[in-house]
Amino acid sequence: INHFVHNGGLYKRPFNEAFEETPMLVAVLTYVGYGVLTLFGYLRDFMRQWKIEKCQNATEREEQKDFVPLYQDFENFYNRNLYMRIRDSWNRPICSVPGAKVDMMERVSHDYNWTFTYTGRVIKDIINMGSYNYLGFAQKSGPCQEAAAKVLSQYGAGVCSTRQEMGNLDKHEELEKLVARFLGVESAMAYGMGFATNSMNIPALVGKGCLILSDELNHASLVLGARLSGATIRIFKHNNMPSLEKLLKDAIVHGQPRTRRPWKKILILVEGIYSMEGSIVRLPEVIALKKKYKSYLYLDEAHSIGALGPSGRGVVEYFGLSPEDVDVMMGTFTKSFGAAGGYIGGKKELIDYLRTYSHSAAYATSMSPPVVEQIITSIKCIMGEDGTTVGEARVQQLAENTRYFRRRLKEMGFIIYGNEDSPVVPLMLYMPAKIGAFGREMLKRNIGVVVVGFPATPIIESRARFCLSAAHTKEMLDTALKEINEVGDLLQLKYSRRRLVPLLDRPFDETTYEETED
Amino acid sequence: MNVGVAHSEVNPNTRVMNSRGMWLTYALGVGMLHIVLLSIPFFSVPVAWTLTNVIHNLGMYVFLHAVKGTPFETPDQGKARLLTHWEQLDYGVQFTSSRKFFTISPIILYFLTSFYTKYDPTHFVLNTASLLTVLIPKLPQLHGVRIFGINKY
Repeated sequence: INHFVHNGGLYKRPFNEAFEETPMLVAVLTYVGYGVLTLFGYLRDFMRQWKIEKCQNATEREEQKDFVPLYQDFENFYNRNLYMRIRDSWNRPICSVPGAKVDMMERVSHDYNWTFTYTGRVIKDIINMGSYNYLGFAQKSGPCQEAAAKVLSQYGAGVCSTRQEMGNLDKHEELEKLVARFLGVESAMAYGMGFATNSMNIPALVGKGCLILSDELNHASLVLGARLSGATIRIFKHNNMPSLEKLLKDAIVHGQPRTRRPWKKILILVEGIYSMEGSIVRLPEVIALKKKYKSYLYLDEAHSIGALGPSGRGVVEYFGLSPEDVDVMMGTFTKSFGAAGGYIGGKKELIDYLRTYSHSAAYATSMSPPVVEQIITSIKCIMGEDGTTVGEARVQQLAENTRYFRRRLKEMGFIIYGNEDSPVVPLMLYMPAKIGAFGREMLKRNIGVVVVGFPATPIIESRARFCLSAAHTKEMLDTALKEINEVGDLLQLKYSRRRLVPLLDRPFDETTYEETED
Repeated sequence: MNVGVAHSEVNPNTRVMNSRGMWLTYALGVGMLHIVLLSIPFFSVPVAWTLTNVIHNLGMYVFLHAVKGTPFETPDQGKARLLTHWEQLDYGVQFTSSRKFFTISPIILYFLTSFYTKYDPTHFVLNTASLLTVLIPKLPQLHGVRIFGINKY
């Protein structure tokens, strides 16, 4: 679906995004599956209560039977009866660096996943399709690792202090100047934890009397930051510009709820790539709306920095826009740079304000020097300043891998969500039993994948999520695709009816209700 | 805190009944129950219909109006722990399409049952009593009401 000339030429390249609708038969069978699991869950709970079956879950001690219970056992129903059955697809212990290939400790369970025992064998060279290793910097040898080791012996492992007290090293200043140069903004600030960057800085930017317009599928860190700030939160439909425009118009016309005063600030929270859907934000339209209605934009590029754009500068470069249009550019170093932490970039006054008032700056420990060096080396590599073209090659390899992988999966007939250029590929599984089956079958064939189900996703949209990497060679991708094809035939996952539904698939006027705090 | 979650929905239970295909699955489920009851040779047609009605209303009462809370942990700090699923639907907003559908479907089943039992008095009493147990908790005036403290905690 080509929206090339749509929207008045705001897009300089085709924007192909698709979310194929669930086939009705599959939806019905999914509900039947959950229904059967619920009935069996009630049966097993009954048997456990009447001591016909041994209860393996934690129970209260005999002495505390008459006390008010600490936990409600119905809240644990899903955990006991559904999650425990397929628990071996998560929390798998790995024992090597999670690059393109990873080693895993083999574990078996003799009592249906209540306890695990290690057989002692190490499964070697599993193709890793689950790490957010977009540019392949998760390595244990190479220039980044050597530089980080040198800095470790020079500066030590940690600073044990906050940025405002004693923890501001010259390495941090170097990193922040480099990040600002990389992004094309005036100034930047780096924090030790990506989640904390969002949750501690949004309260510093907005407060009571401000309005936050946040996307439906925003990450938990953005949601937490928005809730902590005390501002009013309104949610617009995922990537849906008419919905956002309607909310903006209503906000400006009606003002604050009871007093009708104008809002102090309106902040739009979006992400560059949404990691569970694989969709890319419609940044040209968001910026056009932001300018028209004079609000501010907070862009969380956790997954898109380094992964999109011809030179890896993120979603702003991907669309060919200017970084000055985005007021707050936030990102993390965890995904493409192989390190840990987050950054916020923007105008100098904004970053100076954050240096004083941000919670992370005042209370959180500053970043550890070897990690900072890893980021500095990897950014220099991507920009090409270390004298090689390795960075550019990696960015191009990632783009090629993305296009190739998505095209092949679509040809095979799977339902894939998201934009054609996003390195996050969700493959729809739908039924609860197939979640466990897919994870296990792929492990048998030496491929490690991440599967997600209800309640983390909507009830009929369980999926397996592949994260492509520049470190994946074409042979690895071909092997993975061959195995996915086999498993797809075995589990009958090829649901696609080749009818690409238009982009505004989730209908705009379907009303959903939110929790109101009135 | 729901890390790795695909939506910022606080309580997924509120939207389950609005999902694609849920109403169809429910109708097919009732149909399947009725066919199973009709296939048992000991039940005549009126008995099978009354049994369908009664079992359907019993199931609806248990799952929508008796069981409280959510089968998974939610980040809403326990606001929904004392609410039945019916009260949780759409965060308590009344007269939404799901609520209307699940109010009308027992009534339609009641009409069909009354017809097929030829308005026999015993069947009538049973069916009406069973319909009332499932219609009264759905009234908006009874949102959050626990009569005589039954099922309060």
